[in-house]
Amino acid sequence: MWSYDKRLQFPVNIKEPNAKLAQVIISQYGGPDGEMGASMRYLSQRYAMPYREVAGVLTDIGTEELAHLEMVATIVHQLTRNLSMEEIEKSGFANYYVDHTVGIWPQAAGGVPFNACEFQSKGDIITDLMEDMAAEQKARTTYDNILRLVDDPDVCEPIKFLRMREVVHFQRFGEALRITTDKLNSKNFYAFNPGFDCDECSGKN
Amino acid sequence: MMGNKEQLLRDIGIVDFVVTELTLYLDTHPHDRNAMEYFNHYNRMKNQMEREFSQKYYPLSTRLEDCGNEWRWGAAPLPWEGACE
Amino acid sequence: MQDYSCDDQIAKFPVAMAYVPWQKFDRMYDDLEKAYCYGTVFPELNKPFTGRRCV
Repeated sequence: MWSYDKRLQFPVNIKEPNAKLAQVIISQYGGPDGEMGASMRYLSQRYAMPYREVAGVLTDIGTEELAHLEMVATIVHQLTRNLSMEEIEKSGFANYYVDHTVGIWPQAAGGVPFNACEFQSKGDIITDLMEDMAAEQKARTTYDNILRLVDDPDVCEPIKFLRMREVVHFQRFGEALRITTDKLNSKNFYAFNPGFDCDECSGKN
Repeated sequence: MMGNKEQLLRDIGIVDFVVTELTLYLDTHPHDRNAMEYFNHYNRMKNQMEREFSQKYYPLSTRLEDCGNEWRWGAAPLPWEGACE
Repeated sequence: MQDYSCDDQIAKFPVAMAYVPWQKFDRMYDDLEKAYCYGTVFPELNKPFTGRRCV
């Protein structure tokens, strides 16, 4: 279960609306490498984890991703509040506006709706941790790409914070993989699935 | 210029962030005594600052709501409102 | 081409697997306000993006 704190993990106070930027940043809300996919990926993968400490890493990083989801939504919200109709039309925001006004809805920058196919929960600890490490890198690249488009420090600071979290999470997933391989037979890490195959059929050698 | 309320909220954010970082570190290094000492120190500091904030301003979570004659939780500012009006 | 057959540390690890080096907690930033803005309290993990044209 969860509890909620009524504050952001990192402050977001954007003064200047910018609908063009909002349409790009929304990708980290509901896009292919966004925070919604990140949190759902890690929290869903936990149930097939044979080792408690690795499931713990997934819980804590998955929970932090929910806080990032709220930060990204806040950035998009503050970039689109108080927009004039003229700005909506000029910035290309009208296509989003017609379906959602300025509500927050999970989609990629290109308009593709959020889809669970953007992440995997494979039920295999090595496969899932490799996916998680790749996911952190994909999100990091997306934030790099966003940073090239931003010159407002009010937007830049929280994006820089979110980007660095991807690097830290990559390190933690890498360590979780080390914890995992240390428990497996180094002659053949792939002999069996420790979260699925029983001890008797796993050969134990 | 930040008021006391904004400053305390930012400080809570900083201390909570330290706790988050140490939590993730300890998840993969559960025997690091040095990190555990830091964790205990900052976790206590965080709890104390959150209680202080709740008493002075508004509860940041329902855990910190202590109902007198008004329900402050519902009226507390939303995180996405931001500083500018 | 570089000769990778020499006896480096990583050569001791079994092949067909990826390995991230363990982080060893040494110290946190003294200025935690700055650490918050960086997005990490660990100096060794602070790897900012510098590729933009306007840093």
